[in-house]
Amino acid sequence: MRLTLRITAAVTLGIILIFSLYSYLSIQREREQLKKNLSREARNLGQSLLFIVTDLWETRGEKVAISFLRRRNLLSPNLQARWVWIDAEIGTPFRPLVLQSELSDLSNGKNLSLLVSSDDGHDFLLTYIPTKDLKGRLGGIEVRESMDELHGYVKESLRRSAMVVAAAVASALLLMTLLGSIWINRPVRRLREQAERIGSGDFSASLDIGGRDELGKLASSIEQMRGQLAAAKEADDEATREQIETLEKLRHTERLATLGQLSAGMAHELGTPLNVISGRAKLIASEELSLQEATHSARIIGEQAERMTHIMRQLLDYARRGDISKQRVVVADLLSNVVEMLHPITNKQRIEIELNLPTESYQVKADLSQLQQVLLNLAMNGIQAMGRGGKLRLDLDLHPEDKNQLRISITDDGKGISADDLPHIFDPFFTTKEVGQGTGLGLSIAQGMVSEHDGKIEIDSSPGKGSCFRLSLPLDSGEDDA
Amino acid sequence: MNHLTPDNQRPPCVLIAEDDQALRELLSFAMNRAGFSVACCNNGKRLLEILENGIDDASTAVDIVITDLRMPALSGLEVLEALFDRPERPPIICMTAFGDAKTHQAAIRFGATHTIDKPFDIDEMIDLVRAVYNYKNSQKE
Repeated sequence: MRLTLRITAAVTLGIILIFSLYSYLSIQREREQLKKNLSREARNLGQSLLFIVTDLWETRGEKVAISFLRRRNLLSPNLQARWVWIDAEIGTPFRPLVLQSELSDLSNGKNLSLLVSSDDGHDFLLTYIPTKDLKGRLGGIEVRESMDELHGYVKESLRRSAMVVAAAVASALLLMTLLGSIWINRPVRRLREQAERIGSGDFSASLDIGGRDELGKLASSIEQMRGQLAAAKEADDEATREQIETLEKLRHTERLATLGQLSAGMAHELGTPLNVISGRAKLIASEELSLQEATHSARIIGEQAERMTHIMRQLLDYARRGDISKQRVVVADLLSNVVEMLHPITNKQRIEIELNLPTESYQVKADLSQLQQVLLNLAMNGIQAMGRGGKLRLDLDLHPEDKNQLRISITDDGKGISADDLPHIFDPFFTTKEVGQGTGLGLSIAQGMVSEHDGKIEIDSSPGKGSCFRLSLPLDSGEDDA
Repeated sequence: MNHLTPDNQRPPCVLIAEDDQALRELLSFAMNRAGFSVACCNNGKRLLEILENGIDDASTAVDIVITDLRMPALSGLEVLEALFDRPERPPIICMTAFGDAKTHQAAIRFGATHTIDKPFDIDEMIDLVRAVYNYKNSQKE
């Protein structure tokens, strides 16, 4: 709209200038023409009168001639004629209305026209027709014509010009506004809307504003750009879709791999005790065993069955860890409790436990028994890594990088984890321990539970020196009582 | 019970490598009852040592090896690999709980005489050991 306004203003200004100039020039011209006509008329009149006056002067004397002129003036008040002596003194009746110096041309016998202003603001055209009397004194007829008529005419011309300019400006404004709206504003608005749509990522709507002007060409350029962008977006979407599909396939493969891993682990964990049970049962069934041997076999069968039950229970724990009920847990109390529970085994294996608690009492929202199991699993893992002797350290503090996270570090000085094993230690059934020492589910279960509490476990381990398991959990601010 | 054909006076010796104590004891007991003399170990490294140096004082030769594939220290496959270019090695029967064809193929490729899936029938295992032992003897003659 602003552009249209600016163009309109410029064009209007141009129209005003041209019309004004034209009016000025035509008025000037008309004025000149009118003045010329008037002076010719005055000259003709003056010459006629001079002829008569000269004749009267010669035949009937000066007085008759002058009074003729006076009588004649009564006929037309706008056109007054009188006798003048060019050399007349100031104050005498025949003195010309202008100074003698301005009338020097008259001595050559030429006519003279002058435009003069009176003291009260009226303009007059003075025309002098010279002649000489018998003595050679220079005199003549002075015709005085009022220019008021001319002024009225010019005023009227000016008024008309002003009206024409005003009408031209008004119609130009109207036309420009109307046409600017149709030719510029509307297509520009549609172009802007389209550009905004494209900018916001919507390439669906096409735009055709028609016409072969600059805006039409711009529109077709934008349309072309939209097509290219839409194609690029389509290709991008297609690539993303393919990527997602690939990822899904990969995930499916991973799920299958996990299932395979789980099955292999289960086969190994359950296959051996089953083998022992079936073998021992067969021995008993053969009735060739002594009573003592049979009793021994039966006891082993019982032990192996128990071992399988334990494995099954752990597997179920792993699979069925969904039902959790979170409550506010004071972590320091829980850690003290865990240390208490570990006491018999650490005592037996001569392991020292160091528990470092902060002065502040931090809380987390957690399932108490799950969190306890996580801590026990991690601590047991450390204890088993040390065997006999050594020190297990439990530290509680705020996460150094995120003050909304609580960090529990469990550090052992055991055998550590090799770089090869490190990526697998959370895999179900992955174990580096002797058969019967661990099922390889403890850390998997711990990690599963920690993820459900929006936390994570990080490991820092150097083989031969020990490992540090760092468990981070979101801190409970204790503000909302849910 | 004694339908084995010992080439001298001593009973044939079976070396059992298995990390699970209960299974090791069961195999040992069953093999003993079947007329074999039995030696045991619980990891692959020890198994390789025994095969290289003999049992205790090298007076008793190992006639047949029964080994688990998944063991600490050295796995059964690693032991097989180490013994691969040793023609005098005794026949080796591998036990596996993984059961997939690839594991069996790998064991055979590395020189195992036979592979058997866990859990197995203990009588079948005894029959297998006897068959392998008899075949070994018939090859010698």
